[in-house]
Amino acid sequence: MKRIIVEAVECAGCRVCELACSYGHEGRFSPSLSRITVIKEDKHGLDYPLYCRQCESCPPVSTCPTGALSKTTEGTVAVDPETCTGCGSCVTACNYDAIKLDASSRPLICDLCGGEPECVRKCPTDALRFEESEAFTETMEDAFARLKTEWNIDD
Amino acid sequence: MTELGGYAGKILRINFTKREAKTVDLDKSLAHRFLGGRGFNSKLLYDAVGPDTDPLGPENLLMFATGPLVGTMFPTASRFNISAKSPQTGILGDTNAGGHFASEMKFAGYDQIVLKGRSGSPVYVYVNDGEVEFRDAAHLRGKDVYETDDIIKDDLGDRRVQTAIAGPAAENGVKFAGVFANLMRAASRTGMGTVMASKGVKALAIRGTGSIEVAHPRKFERLVDEITEEIYGHEQYEGRRRMGTTRILLMANAMGFLPTRHYTSGIFEHADEVSGERLAEEFNVKSRGCFACTIPCSRFYVVREGRFAGLYGEGPEYEAQGSLTARTGNRELELALKANDMCNRLGMDILTVSECISWAMELYEKGMLTREETDGLDLSWGNGDAMLTLIEKISRREGFGDILADGSKAAAMKLGKGLDLTMQVKGLDLIMADPRGLKGFGLGYAVASRGGDHLRSEPFLELNDDPAIGEEMFGVPEATLRLADKGKGKLISFFEDWNAVIDALEPCKNIMQNMEILKFDLASKVIEATTGMRMTPAEVRLVGARIVNIERAFNVREGMRRRDDSLPRRFREEPLTEGASSGTVFDQEPMLDEYYTERGWDLKTGVPRRETLEGLGLSKAASELGRIK
Repeated sequence: MKRIIVEAVECAGCRVCELACSYGHEGRFSPSLSRITVIKEDKHGLDYPLYCRQCESCPPVSTCPTGALSKTTEGTVAVDPETCTGCGSCVTACNYDAIKLDASSRPLICDLCGGEPECVRKCPTDALRFEESEAFTETMEDAFARLKTEWNIDD
Repeated sequence: MTELGGYAGKILRINFTKREAKTVDLDKSLAHRFLGGRGFNSKLLYDAVGPDTDPLGPENLLMFATGPLVGTMFPTASRFNISAKSPQTGILGDTNAGGHFASEMKFAGYDQIVLKGRSGSPVYVYVNDGEVEFRDAAHLRGKDVYETDDIIKDDLGDRRVQTAIAGPAAENGVKFAGVFANLMRAASRTGMGTVMASKGVKALAIRGTGSIEVAHPRKFERLVDEITEEIYGHEQYEGRRRMGTTRILLMANAMGFLPTRHYTSGIFEHADEVSGERLAEEFNVKSRGCFACTIPCSRFYVVREGRFAGLYGEGPEYEAQGSLTARTGNRELELALKANDMCNRLGMDILTVSECISWAMELYEKGMLTREETDGLDLSWGNGDAMLTLIEKISRREGFGDILADGSKAAAMKLGKGLDLTMQVKGLDLIMADPRGLKGFGLGYAVASRGGDHLRSEPFLELNDDPAIGEEMFGVPEATLRLADKGKGKLISFFEDWNAVIDALEPCKNIMQNMEILKFDLASKVIEATTGMRMTPAEVRLVGARIVNIERAFNVREGMRRRDDSLPRRFREEPLTEGASSGTVFDQEPMLDEYYTERGWDLKTGVPRRETLEGLGLSKAASELGRIK
């Protein structure tokens, strides 16, 4: 399956992905409306985008109390706006912190832009790639710990 | 679209004496006449701050402003200006930084935030979209920039809050303390952190969840795509990605204008040891970028060996790298990284710090300063450890550090010696390019509205040393020859207007100006697509001229005249004796004549003529300056 993968050391934390995502989906520039969210840790020079990993078994889907979330054939997660109550259980259920709610409690979840993710297309450093890949399971915490070990940073 | 695109549309005014916050709508005619950022700040500074205002008194305004491109996907649009009357120079104070603070301001809903008054107890402000909260900052007293950022984010329970912080140097009254965003994005020229601390304000913390829309999305997208492609294909792309501005150091050395041992030479024999190339090869581990940047040029470094092992951080940029090495004669790169890190944490302007230290070193070497006066410090050229000690002492205003803590000009006046050896203009300490090797840059320093600094003009075309460019652009081949004097008035007027527009729109000057991308004709298209405002390229340039002239009017009202547009004596009288910039001096007066003529300013006084100001629609300034003479 084609997936978005990230190489943490390449992510410069410019947040162009957030802008491309919100503009592509909502027609305006707003990180709060983006399906991808960059976490920055300035002290250690670390940056990492949080986004949907298309997990085979998706806890937000299985734990949604109203059954509003479902897996599509492309491996993304769809939200049925009619049945979603905006309770936010999906936000806490996701292992990769990939879901957030907008101001009207609508869950914002990556739909791969229909097969050509804007975030990947616009990433200036090619930290994000969209390619055939096994499940990509590195968490932000894993990546940060890995880089800090490589760099001999221990605080 | 009836509203302007690009702008957030609101201005936030916070009065700390009254503990009151007010939001007002952005005035569209202000947007049309001054565009944003530095333009907004300079206009308000002229209108609301005058000769009676004490820079460290409650009446001074501390203004944060950003531009209409910020918050959008326009490449590199991330910057903001902080302005006030400067406690270091007594004239216009202004500084600019990138990072992720300005975009957060926009998403919170503001184009400009204006701080006034003085808080009775230490506070920091938390701006969360439309809400403004005054929060106790007693626990942040004396905390450095890094600690403060960490504590505030913990207090607020939100790691995505963006902060702009005054460090301990500001609290201790060091006159060249800065405001720091993203820990090391230094808005550090002219003492804006000192002004912030004088208001009892430790930090501004901001979080925004709003959005920015542009007036003509399709046109805007096309322009962004074109500009992005131009950046990716640019000959400077690789070098900037790898080294940022540190790529300059070896070039400056080869051209003989790298200020070395306090401008006694333009060549540093250890340049290879402290170069951007060495930094990239041995220390850099990761690239970082400001908001919306498509050419991230900041670098995260780690020192793994030697006496500074365990040191890590971001940067430095050329000005810090060069001034903490060549300017002071220090050849130990790791020590320069340490000094850079200390200045960031303590919250001080590195150019001023290094000028103060290298000036003191020159006096010491010449026998004009004794070890008794320096608290026992051996200030021989290149004594890096003494430099580290002095940085600490300056930040605490302790002993000899207290003498230096107001800048080099003030230090010379306190000691009663060495004034003509201070490398400053109007009290602002100079940057890392010797004007004897770059005559246009030199003229830029002499007339810059914030004092001795290159970022008001930065006529990079001189570096090409190609007369054909000068001929084509200004009708004067010498205009773009770095060692020639002719045509520099035209060159500097042009570049000042251009930079003022960039500082108003707030993308990155390194990219949009130095890489020759956002020229007036393209800026005209970008402004229309983003905001909906139609301006011809000539009208865009007029906005730049309007900003330059309102700033000049402010400084004239504070007493500045032609006599103050002057470089230090050494540059005017003593040629460099070695290297590719040797043999000439800075011939100031003819260049000033040409510049004032180009500007429409009085040749004798340097005051803008009434008709010049009226032609730019600056009628209040025209009548006020008409009365001055």
